[in-house]
Amino acid sequence: MEQIFTSNQLFNIAILAITAPFLAFIFSLIFKKLAAAFGIISIGISLISSIILFLHLWKKHTLHYSFQWINIGNVKIDVGILLNDLSVIMLLLITLIALLVHIYSVEYIRNDKLKYRYFAYLSLFCFAMVCVVMADNLFILYAFWELVGFSSYLLIGFWFTKEKAVQANKKAMIMNRIGDIGFLIGIMIMVSQFHTLDIDTLFGSGSLIDSSFVKNGLWVSPFATMPEYWLSIAGFCFFSGAIAKSAQFPLHTWLPDAMEGPTAVSSLIHAATMVAAGVFLLLRISPLFNDVVLVSIATIGLFTAFMAATIALTQNDIKKVLAFSTISQLGFMVLAVGVQDNAAAIFHLITHAFFKCLLFLGAGIVIHQLHHIKEKHSLDFDEQNMDNMGGLRKLMPVTGMVFFIAAMALSGLPFTSGYLSKDAILVSVFEWADLRGGIYWLFPLMISITSWLTTFYIFRVVYKVFFGDFRLPKIFNKAKEELHIHDPNLWMTIPVIVLAVFCFGVFFAYNPLNLDSSWVYHGFNLQQHNEGLFHLMVPLYINVMSLALIFLAHLIYAKQKIAINFQATWFYKLSYNQWYFNSFYDVFLMRIVLWKAKYFYWFDRKIIDGTVHLSSDIILKFSKIANWLDRNIIDGLVNGVAFLVGRLGIWLRGMQSGKLQHYFIWMLLLFLTFMIFKIVI
Amino acid sequence: MIPLQHFLFISAALFSLGLFAVITRKNAIQILMGIELMINASILNMVAFGKYDKIDNTGQVFGLFIIVLAAAAVAVALVIIMNLYKRVKTINPDKANTLRG
Repeated sequence: MEQIFTSNQLFNIAILAITAPFLAFIFSLIFKKLAAAFGIISIGISLISSIILFLHLWKKHTLHYSFQWINIGNVKIDVGILLNDLSVIMLLLITLIALLVHIYSVEYIRNDKLKYRYFAYLSLFCFAMVCVVMADNLFILYAFWELVGFSSYLLIGFWFTKEKAVQANKKAMIMNRIGDIGFLIGIMIMVSQFHTLDIDTLFGSGSLIDSSFVKNGLWVSPFATMPEYWLSIAGFCFFSGAIAKSAQFPLHTWLPDAMEGPTAVSSLIHAATMVAAGVFLLLRISPLFNDVVLVSIATIGLFTAFMAATIALTQNDIKKVLAFSTISQLGFMVLAVGVQDNAAAIFHLITHAFFKCLLFLGAGIVIHQLHHIKEKHSLDFDEQNMDNMGGLRKLMPVTGMVFFIAAMALSGLPFTSGYLSKDAILVSVFEWADLRGGIYWLFPLMISITSWLTTFYIFRVVYKVFFGDFRLPKIFNKAKEELHIHDPNLWMTIPVIVLAVFCFGVFFAYNPLNLDSSWVYHGFNLQQHNEGLFHLMVPLYINVMSLALIFLAHLIYAKQKIAINFQATWFYKLSYNQWYFNSFYDVFLMRIVLWKAKYFYWFDRKIIDGTVHLSSDIILKFSKIANWLDRNIIDGLVNGVAFLVGRLGIWLRGMQSGKLQHYFIWMLLLFLTFMIFKIVI
Repeated sequence: MIPLQHFLFISAALFSLGLFAVITRKNAIQILMGIELMINASILNMVAFGKYDKIDNTGQVFGLFIIVLAAAAVAVALVIIMNLYKRVKTINPDKANTLRG
């Protein structure tokens, strides 16, 4: 395609993509009635800008504009935008999904009194997310990274009257803070080692990272030298930021709790875009990681993927299943970064964004419609519990269809987008393990198991919700016709249909069965996969097993021919209680923190306050003494003199009787006295 | 020849009487008379001591001066007393005590 716009115009378009959501955020808070319109129009503008930028820049050139901002000594921090292949494709993804979720939200949030706030927060999130993607240096990236976290906090706690929602957003905030500390430390290491934070200078081609080297246990860069272990520490620090944002193993517990927010928010922020920001960060700074860090990243990703998949097997809350599925899939992406197949990570990030967003929106429709029934008939049940659903395929055909497509994509069945991206990761993991051998064969084994678990848990949801009989009328002993449930209107169905279309592989590859024909994958991975055994075998054996598991799930949950009763086993308990991570954190970490807080409270109360009070008491006593002295001694002296003078005056006044003869006598006496003195002396 | 002491005794007695009158009387005229007595006592002293200055007779001359001055003073004093009477309708100096402290 020929270039229609010049670089300067493209820069202005990029600025437009940033400012539109921000203006929408401000105007939504002012003109409350028009909030939804502002949100949709602004994100639409961003989407159009993103499309233009994508068509101009994808695989062509990099747009990098920056202005000098802060200058401290020899450290320069610029502010600017960097649009390379990774940025533009992320930008396109974010704005497209955000637009669909905005449209969906119009219906989802229709009856909420504070919906203007919802759209304002959503616009703020879009603004921050677009900036994260475009930021050209780590400092700006960090700032908007925090803003993304903050808007996520606002949206998780959108229904702030719900105690659980408030707890959840607090938890998300704290968990993210722990990771962000690491991110900040990483930034500081970068500053001290390279004296710049510019991403292109640091990690681009011919970058400072490439020109730095490790020699004799020292990490040498053109500017500074530090011991080698700082290279690993920097990698771990940045990774910890990604761990928190992308809900990886030690800090993953906030994401399931974040499901307390509106489902549309869960779909946009906690499935498709924000949580992917962690993976995006890893991709941006991937040249930094040395072998130790990469293996750790792979291990964390693998463990998270496996653990979350096992938890998702037994959850009954539909959104919880999807949340753990998200954690698991993010684990896949992190694993891909760990095995240094960045192209697979970004490819899976993109395909996952579409089908996971769709899964959430589909679940949101079911929850929304059940909520209507609940309010209409004033029943009391949990509209997110899958035990209350079932057989919805016939009642809500559109929703059932799109959910089924998304589930197939998540399982990685052929002709779906998930097939391409997931197999890209699996093949990379196999090749990586083959290269290293030994214990590393655990990685492909575990990730294959995780992949099968994924298929099983998502089809468990599909069969429990959309197949069999609708269980709700039975629970409340009502006729099926009475509890009527149906597909929603176009505001909700159009976004899910669009997303469902993007779940098919043809959008990402000319030949939807061959990874090598994928334009996204090859946008980032120039060398061809060697046509090895894994390339042929891995998709085959994964999918054969997956189909068997789908059939099994069908028998168990749809036909209910096989009744499995393993609720008493330790495995079920472990999975149902989410590997006891919450309890563990409560018992060990929370208790320590609370105990410490109590101790500090006591210390503050007794020692600090005590000292202050004691000194204030002493000063009070001292001032009382001073007061007494002032009143009695100083004032007494002054008053005494005044009193004396007064008395003297009264006495002397007595002489001025006004009687002529008295004056005369006084005169005489004075004269006589004078004379007597004169004579005596 | 009358010795000097007799003059001095007489004048001291006159002065004391005048002083007594000035201090004790409640009538301005009587106080004025007391003053005249005291002046006359002093004139008597002047004249008595005058016998020791036979050449210039300063004592006598001063005596004459004082008599003239006393006459003028009496005139002034009487006018004051009359004015006093006009203002406060009394010549009792105790009643005219507007200068009282």
